[in-house]
This record gives sequence, structure tokens and C-alpha cells, in this order.
Amino acid sequence: MASQSSSEFEWPVLYNYPPFYTLQTNLDTRAKQIDAWCNLILNYFKYNKLYVLDLTEALASSPLFVNSQLNRILSRETASLILNTLDSRGNLEWQDKEKDRCLVMWRTPKEWGALIYQWASDNAFINTVCTVYELHSGDDTINEEFYGLELIMVVKALQTLQNDGKAQIIQRSNPDMSDAGVKFFG
Amino acid sequence: MGALLARIFNRDQQNAPPPINRAHDVSQQDQAVLDLKLQRDKLKRYQNKLEIQMEKERELAKKLLRDGKRDKAKLLLKKKKYTESLLEKTDGQLSNLETMVGNLEYAQIEMKVVEGLKSGNEALTMLHKIMSIEDVESLIADTQDAIEYQKEIDELLGTRLTQEDEESLLKELEQITQGEDEALINQLPAAPVGGLEDEIAPVRGASKQPEKRTAIAT
Repeated sequence: MASQSSSEFEWPVLYNYPPFYTLQTNLDTRAKQIDAWCNLILNYFKYNKLYVLDLTEALASSPLFVNSQLNRILSRETASLILNTLDSRGNLEWQDKEKDRCLVMWRTPKEWGALIYQWASDNAFINTVCTVYELHSGDDTINEEFYGLELIMVVKALQTLQNDGKAQIIQRSNPDMSDAGVKFFG
Repeated sequence: MGALLARIFNRDQQNAPPPINRAHDVSQQDQAVLDLKLQRDKLKRYQNKLEIQMEKERELAKKLLRDGKRDKAKLLLKKKKYTESLLEKTDGQLSNLETMVGNLEYAQIEMKVVEGLKSGNEALTMLHKIMSIEDVESLIADTQDAIEYQKEIDELLGTRLTQEDEESLLKELEQITQGEDEALINQLPAAPVGGLEDEIAPVRGASKQPEKRTAIAT
């Protein structure tokens, strides 16, 4: 599914430029290169509606890092450097200590929160309790952008709403919040 | 860990206001609604599973038929029938759950209405306390006393004027009003003496004259 839609993804010109895969020594050029990679990753993830990146897996098979036409693969060091840059920009969050799995946030939790809150207020869910599940997989949200959103992203988005006093998360037994609920406030 | 905390701290500093905790705004009823909705989610997932299973069974039955294994296909269709009945049952359960959720949410709204009425009633009784009947009665009595007191004063002052004083007072009043009447008459334009001079507009002239006369009479 992902590979099918990725064929329609418009790769930037740099993607087919071999030096793009080698970390540049000139610092100016390197900064531009990393910047271009960051944008590419965010655009690719946004286009394919992906949220989680497994570095080992991606370096092995994802067309994002593996250019089979050029026969180039991004090195793990360079990829880590780029991902850490995304992290410092607030667009990425590591999920493990080994820095292998990460959450790519092409929309920040606050932005997702705003979208969810907008939906809740448009559909009269203010002062009503919803399950987190029905937000990302319910019948009422099928046409919403956050439908199919990664659970952890939904929780993060709801946390920003909670910090603003616009919602209260109701946690249940599951630590991953898969059985949590939320109450929206007007 | 330190670096992580520092990062979280830095990030949160950008959206500075301190987190608001509204856990107390989640009532027991909300918790119950959540329980029901979680149950509903579980049922929906179960239904999805059943639907996928049914589709698989149908495909498999088709394949068995193609291969000429009629008996096995029949058995499989029986199983599919059973899955279908399960699906129908869960539909019933789902609607039960949703009715319950609806009832709970409606009861909460009703409670809010009652609360509103209650606080309105409290405000009203408080106002009534401030404005007790005894207070109002004594206030009216006080006002009555004050009026009577004023009357007494008036009477006391009124008796000082003798009958004579009263007469000269009335005379003076008449003189003043008479003077005013004469002044008024002098202000009026003189009434036309001759006949209608302006023959072109006799109607206008005719209508004007009686008007003036009535003005003098008053």
C-alpha cells in the first residue's frame, strides 16, 4: 500500500543526484543538504500519512533512504544526523534509547490537537466523553484528517488540549492509553 | 534523562501557560459513559473481525465448490450462517449500548436543567429574604407616617393665612391673569375690515378668517 502510493510521490530533483547520499564536508553545503533531507522526510511521511520510522528497516528497504535506481543508500550515521536535526526542530521524537524507532511529526501535536478540537466542536462533542479509539478509528471520524492517526500522536495531541484546559484525558488500565477516553470542554 | 527533561522543558516554555487540570470536571457519569463507549468500540472491532471472517469463508466455500467438494462447501456455508447470526446479535448489543449511552447523556442534561432551576430558586429566595414582608410593611407604615407628618406641617402653615389674606391673594392672581390676556390680544393681528380683496383665492381667505376668530376666543 505504502509502496504503491509512494510511486506517485514527487521526488525532489536532489533525490536523483548521487552526492545527496554522501554527507558533504563543506559546512554550508552540508547544512543545505541536511535541510533538504529533513524536508524530504517530512513531505514523504505526510504524503503517505506515515508516522513511525524504524531506522533499521527504513535503511534496508524504504525508497526514502534506498535509491535503487542510483544504487545509493544513505548511511546510518548520516540518517541519524538528519533525524536528530528533525528532533531539535520539534518534528521528531525518539521512541527508544537506541534511537532506532521514532515518531515523525509532520504536523505538531498542537496542530493535531487543534484539528481534533475543531471536529469535536463542529460535531457537538463538547462536554461529551469520547474514546480515544473512536477519534482515530471511529465511524464519525472517517473523513477527518486524523483518521488512522497513530495512537501515540492522538494522545500527544489530546495532551496539548488538556494543557490548554480544553479537554481532560481519562486514563484507564492500559498504559499505552489505547483504552483511554477524553472529555472536551467548551 | 536530564537532556530529555531539558528538552521537554524548553519545548513547553514556548507554549508557556501552566497545564490546567480539569479532572474534577469528569463526573462519575462521564466515567460510566466512557465504559459503555469502550465496550461499544470492542463490539465494533469484533464485528469487523466477523465480517472479515465471513468474507474469507465465502471465498473458501467458492473455491471448494470449484474443486467439487460440495459437502465441505456446505459445511463452511453453515459456519458462515452462524457467523452471520453472531453479527446480528452484536448489532442488537450495540444498539443496547448506544441506547444506554443516550439515556445517560440525556439524564446528565436533565440534571443540569434541575441544577439551573435550583440555583435560580435559591437566588429568588435570597432576594425574598432581603425583601421580607415585615420590612415592606414597616416601610409602608413609615412612609404613611411621614406623609401624615407632612400634612400636619402643611396644616400648621396653612392656618396662618386668614380669610382676608386669601381674598387679596385671589385678587392679585386675577390681575396677573387679566394682564396676560390683554397682552395676548394685543399680540394678535388686526381682523380684516373690508370684503374679500383677493378674488383669486377666495377659499383661502374664507378659511383663514374663522380660524383667527377662534384664536381670539380662546
